[in-house]
Amino acid sequence: MSNVTYASINDDILHSMRPPGKTWFASMAIILTMLGMGIFAFGYQIRHGMEGSGINNPIGWGVYITNFVFWVGIGHAGTLISAVLFLVRAPFRTSIYRASEAMTVFAVMTAALFPLIHIGRVWNFYWLIPYPNQRLLWVNFKSPLLWDVFAVNTYMSVSILFFLVGLVPDFAVVRDESKGLKRLFYGIAALGFRGTNHEWKHYMRAYLLFAAIATPLVFSVHSIVSWDFAMSSIPGWHTTIFPPYFVAGAIFSGCAMVLTLLLPLRAIFPGFKDIIKMKDMEAMAKMIMFTGVIVTYAYSIEFFIAYYSGAKYEKALFWFRPFGELKFFFFLMVFCNCVSPLPLWIKKIRTNVPALFLISILVNIGMWMERFNIVVTSLAHDFDPYAWGSYTFEWVEIWITIGSFGWFSMWFFIFVKIMPSLAVAELKEALVPPMRSAHHE
Amino acid sequence: MSKQFSGVWATYEFLDDFCGAIRELRDSGFQRLTTLAPCPRHEIDHALGNPQSRVPFFTLAGMFCGFSLAFTLMTFMSLDWILPVSGKPIVSFPIMGPVLFELSVLCAVWFTLISMIGLILNDLRKHGMPGSKQWKSYRRFTRDRFGLIVPCTQHDLDKVEGILNKFSAEEVNREA
Repeated sequence: MSNVTYASINDDILHSMRPPGKTWFASMAIILTMLGMGIFAFGYQIRHGMEGSGINNPIGWGVYITNFVFWVGIGHAGTLISAVLFLVRAPFRTSIYRASEAMTVFAVMTAALFPLIHIGRVWNFYWLIPYPNQRLLWVNFKSPLLWDVFAVNTYMSVSILFFLVGLVPDFAVVRDESKGLKRLFYGIAALGFRGTNHEWKHYMRAYLLFAAIATPLVFSVHSIVSWDFAMSSIPGWHTTIFPPYFVAGAIFSGCAMVLTLLLPLRAIFPGFKDIIKMKDMEAMAKMIMFTGVIVTYAYSIEFFIAYYSGAKYEKALFWFRPFGELKFFFFLMVFCNCVSPLPLWIKKIRTNVPALFLISILVNIGMWMERFNIVVTSLAHDFDPYAWGSYTFEWVEIWITIGSFGWFSMWFFIFVKIMPSLAVAELKEALVPPMRSAHHE
Repeated sequence: MSKQFSGVWATYEFLDDFCGAIRELRDSGFQRLTTLAPCPRHEIDHALGNPQSRVPFFTLAGMFCGFSLAFTLMTFMSLDWILPVSGKPIVSFPIMGPVLFELSVLCAVWFTLISMIGLILNDLRKHGMPGSKQWKSYRRFTRDRFGLIVPCTQHDLDKVEGILNKFSAEEVNREA
């Protein structure tokens, strides 16, 4: 960061927060159209019931639960980057963690919508929460679905708090660089932060504790999501490999989404290229390579377990996945998750922006397909051949899925314009401080 | 608080000058210093004598509260509405694991946040801040300058100013 100084970091951040231009408004128009499609389809579903989705008997969980697991997975990488990499002092974290954290918050906000959309009678969602009610009954604490309510809500609360606490010193920067109403707005958001030693002392200790607390949460949330499946007796779901397999898959997809978001961000704001360096992007590519290998191993071992266990229902299901009527989704998953990241082992490719962007998109598609395969194929092909079924996508669930991408992107676009998308204080901390003497203390 | 402030504040461009001034002031008996910096620096912590925060105690207390809350909640609700599931015990400790963990984490985080804000406000209350217009309009501490506030009596103003200037302070302002 030879050209980067304390002052230039402030200038670059403020540049990114200037009033949006035509490209931003054009992108936002597309995003809002997508969101509008989703809202319309959801309205239709409320009016007409679940007939608009492909959910049927026996496939009671379809695209909505696939979307839920997909978005929770996307939300994984942000906290991994901000908390786990903070604890291990990974150097590439500083430039990318703010945008990744924002991605986490918005992805979990998106994920949290899907159980509500999936239950159909959305107005009864509060039945999931333990509260004193007229019928004098309580929720079932022995159900993994209820554990998931606690896990996702805790994860969302902690991610939001971690994100907002990290923003406070940077809001103070924007406040001090602004005038008028903008100064007032950011002054309120900065909670009077001035950068005194009394503030930094407690702030840094609390931030470290947040990171320490969030680290086991990163691993617990997707483990608990995996128990939604693994605690049942359905072939293809009832397996002990699920928690680590889900966590690795979540990091895989989350890192891919970080690249999908940060590569354009880096291209749009030229000042960011000095801060978000290619080697930071390369480090993310290496995480994709590493977790991609774990995911490939998990896919293989699932087949091996089905063969070695001698359980005929497992064998039948794992024959159905590559050779049954839903085989297209299986092979698309294998191509996107196992084959497409392989070129990243070549340095030239993992330092090439268009190649990285393309691979990140393919991984995102692949990870959606993985969740679809897990959710749908297992339900389509369980114990009794008489009860086997198939799945057809319906327009309502497709529109709602498109709408979820619109919802996520809308928040991210707003974030880029109203919040510092790089962590100002931490970037400054990573610089060699201004010294009169030549040697750094 | 700002009306009662008496002392000197100075700004620095270089961190080594700034830390030198802090050390000399502390050696001269001025312990109640307030520093301002664009980012946390361990050099400043060392110069200030590595002050420790009490936030972790509150985090631990939060964790215990969350754990107790989850345990009480699940035990009470399981006994209040008997729901037998697959022959499992009505109050089953292993099955409480995920909710015990999640609520412990949730309460620990909230306790950390609230205690951080409380401790900061308490420390700021104890340390006076300058109240002049010049101080209020100075905005470079979040950009690229280091600041030092030294509360002192009228009698010590010259001495403090001398130390601050010795370490090449960019600006030195008296407030009395």
